Amino acid sequence: MPRTIPSDYRCSVQKPADFDDFWNAVLADAARIPLNAESAPDPLRTSDELETFQVFYDSLDDIRIAAWYCVPRERQGKLPAMVFLPGYQSDPAVPKDWARRGYAAIAAAPRGKLRSNAQFNPGYPNLLTHNITDRNTYSYRGFYVDAWRCVDYLLSRPEVDPDRIGVAGSSQGGGLSVTAAAMRPEVKAASIGAPYLCGYMDAIALTHTYPYQEINDYLRLYPESRADVERALAYFDGVSFADRITCPAIVNIGLQDNVCPPETGYALFNAIASEDKRLYAYDGHGHEAGRYKHNAVIADFFRKHLQDAGD
Amino acid sequence: MTNATATAPADFAAYWQRALDELAHTPAAPEVSPLPIRDTDYATMYVVKLTSIGPYRLFAYLSIPRGEGPFPAIYFTPKYQSVPEPIPQGSPNYLRSRFATFALAARGQRNADSPYAAQFPGLLTDGIHDPQAYIFRGIAADSARGLEYLLSRPEVDAARVAAIGNDIALIAAALRQGVTHLIATPALFVDTADLAAQASDYPLEEINDYLNLYPDRAAALRETLAYFDLSGFADSVSAATLLMAGASGSLLDANRLSAVSAAIKGDVSVYESQSSSYKDGMRAEQWLADQFGFAEPILPEHWQ
Repeated sequence: MPRTIPSDYRCSVQKPADFDDFWNAVLADAARIPLNAESAPDPLRTSDELETFQVFYDSLDDIRIAAWYCVPRERQGKLPAMVFLPGYQSDPAVPKDWARRGYAAIAAAPRGKLRSNAQFNPGYPNLLTHNITDRNTYSYRGFYVDAWRCVDYLLSRPEVDPDRIGVAGSSQGGGLSVTAAAMRPEVKAASIGAPYLCGYMDAIALTHTYPYQEINDYLRLYPESRADVERALAYFDGVSFADRITCPAIVNIGLQDNVCPPETGYALFNAIASEDKRLYAYDGHGHEAGRYKHNAVIADFFRKHLQDAGD
Repeated sequence: MTNATATAPADFAAYWQRALDELAHTPAAPEVSPLPIRDTDYATMYVVKLTSIGPYRLFAYLSIPRGEGPFPAIYFTPKYQSVPEPIPQGSPNYLRSRFATFALAARGQRNADSPYAAQFPGLLTDGIHDPQAYIFRGIAADSARGLEYLLSRPEVDAARVAAIGNDIALIAAALRQGVTHLIATPALFVDTADLAAQASDYPLEEINDYLNLYPDRAAALRETLAYFDLSGFADSVSAATLLMAGASGSLLDANRLSAVSAAIKGDVSVYESQSSSYKDGMRAEQWLADQFGFAEPILPEHWQ
């Protein structure tokens, strides 16, 4: 029988005292870079029921970021909107299914992903450990901002209701959703699946599977860097962001997750500040975290918090 | 290559024999270099570069256990994603203490993306109007080349060579002898056009996108896909096979795979997904351990 997972698990990460200062400075840097958004119609992926655009915008370090954007053709008034954030090694899906449900939907390809890798391309594996000892150049400093800037794109669209924006993702997409909900007050609801990038230093002891294994590989070769790695990652750990989340949030985890340890999922959930939060812990499930059943939960959650909120 | 299915084109075998002949005339020219960051106390990792038809230079990760071989081997065939993984995400790294592992990046995937960088979505319909131009002709040849290379390694126990992956795993096992065990999870090439008509998710949605924009190419698309349908390859597979079907009632459930499973020459077990990566993964790991004669599979921590 698989192990019992303690639901009160606490990660070892300590939120740095200057965490907010660090990220406020990053946001200030980003704010100085105009979005320069471009929305190119994509006839191949457009149909009678929805329009698809290939979107591009500028982000931190002047890196050009790609995304898919879908909107329903038939619409009355402003639309609720969704941001979808991708997994570690998957490329973003075209979010047609959410446009079919009546949402404006954007799916980001942060730096290093296909179509966003001309200027930055550390590769997979490698992204997780790229400049991992330096918070100011670590890969995820820009990667997070790229994801958050989807919100700016949505705010630039006339068909989007700026008061009804949600964010969702699983695995790395779950971790990115944590950070987006924490850092962008425009996010009104968040669905967080099998969250990656939460409890890094715990995860590398709890599991020895990729992608977290990248950090073990790195520390095996550079053991003297452990303290620097731990210090830098504290600024990027989802658990450090969690007390800034105040919007409604749902979290789903698989209790036999072999990629993102469920212990870290519990720790994240317990740290989320929102009073309106709910955990779905799926026993007998791995990294898919009960997706086949949970998809309906996610649809209902956003219907309640975004679609019904516009009635 | 043989095939005896009613749906395969008459020149199915000839089509693939030409690809294999082309491969035979293309030197592999392997180049092996160490990759110390992926080494462990129990295994050494190498990067392998080798050439397939085109000519096109491929990339692969090769891991060899430390100690005396030969070792049973696992060939992780290319998946439908841009990223080639040293071993699949979620697999315990300690797997590399028991098995020689070989993970291939086919043309278009990262590290094998020059001059051709595949797009996702986009790969599934690249060149689909013409069987000779279809990108998966090259990818299938790549998978055969990868298998040839793995089998050439002296550390590999030729009596225990597993191919694990999706459609390409089965195609590789059909195109080249040497795979003794196969775990295949078909996802793309079973009644593809008909399946796509019932689907709205990618990658099959790529077929719908393509036909929406080019409705006049429907016949050509079907003609090309007929050369790639797994039913045409199945009777060339002699490996003991675990066929991983979708959950009952899903697009690729056991019923949909029945023609494929019936045609495979080796012993076949068909497993229907329990909609749980844990339960499905446990079945695959246990099957492989049983087949290779190990008392227990090597499992990730949260499956133990």
